[in-house]
Amino acid sequence: MKFSIYRYNPDVDKKPYMQDYDVVLEDSDQMLLDALLRIKDLDDSLSLRKSCREGVCGSDSMNINGKNGLACITKLSDLEEPVVLRPMPGLPVIRDLIVDMTQFFENYNSVNPYLVNNDEPPETERLQSPEDRAKLDGLYECILCGACTTSCPSFWWNPDKFVGPAGLLQAYRFIVDSRDQALDDRLENLEAPDRLYRCHNIMNCVDVCPKKLNPSLAIARIKDLKIKEANHSKTLESKAPTKRQIAIKSLHD
Amino acid sequence: MLLSLLTKRYPGMRAWLTQRLTGLLMAIYSVVLLIRVLVLTPSSYDDWLAFSRPWWWRLATLIFWVSLSSHAWLGVRDVLKDYVPNVKIRMVLLKLVVLALWVYLVWITLLLCNL
Repeated sequence: MKFSIYRYNPDVDKKPYMQDYDVVLEDSDQMLLDALLRIKDLDDSLSLRKSCREGVCGSDSMNINGKNGLACITKLSDLEEPVVLRPMPGLPVIRDLIVDMTQFFENYNSVNPYLVNNDEPPETERLQSPEDRAKLDGLYECILCGACTTSCPSFWWNPDKFVGPAGLLQAYRFIVDSRDQALDDRLENLEAPDRLYRCHNIMNCVDVCPKKLNPSLAIARIKDLKIKEANHSKTLESKAPTKRQIAIKSLHD
Repeated sequence: MLLSLLTKRYPGMRAWLTQRLTGLLMAIYSVVLLIRVLVLTPSSYDDWLAFSRPWWWRLATLIFWVSLSSHAWLGVRDVLKDYVPNVKIRMVLLKLVVLALWVYLVWITLLLCNL
């Protein structure tokens, strides 16, 4: 099977290049990662990340024939030859198919991806109704492989400003969590013009997600929630007594 | 209700909501325009003049152009922010866009007033 793989070793190469491989596969080689390991047997200078080899850890995400995906769950029989492999776009290349995901995780961390609950911790876990638990389906499954965020042009052009689909999916995951108490802070955190609203719903993220999640829908729901929350606080403001009313009342008292 | 949210307190939402609201206004105008053209079938210059002259239609057309200008401004601003990294060049281009949109808006307003 023929492969064309992006190669770049900053210690040796002046610029990246594509290297062709023609590899004989065994019957047991079913997935792209199997073929890559077969290539690595031939050329151990090829660098890539891998770990669980079953689509759970998200380490081996890469650009496969122009579309981001996980090598370990991509069937070789589904790929057109030569299989063109590149590192995920939009992030600095460390070496070959390995990218520096620092920016990706900074954006992820910026949404405070953990439960905020100031109540006294119960003896066992914080309980949820089955309905509230069901709201987390389609959100908690994200494995942070980065396939969605690095296929998003808004992230390519504004990596330090736009949170990106993975980060926003995680933001929504905690926004809808019935046990979380930081809804206002979470929505306020996404108010800066480029953090949330840079998403223009082109849905590359949905197209590439190896877990079949829908970050675009999560982003749309955050936008809806922000409108509802803003309306709610406007209503509360209008009901609150003005400074003048308070002054008049204090005079009467 | 939604208009009250278009404040500086919500800078991100303001631009996003403005684009949605102006898009909605333009869509409504386009549908009404299509229906009017199909029903009234103006063909001559005088027909088109009669078509465009009612005060309410001129007002609707002005609202359409104001919507179009703000919608276009937000869209082009985003594109220039993405694709023109040089701040000086970007600022010049943004100013040119603002100038062009204002010229068009004043021009269409004068045309509508003189119908």
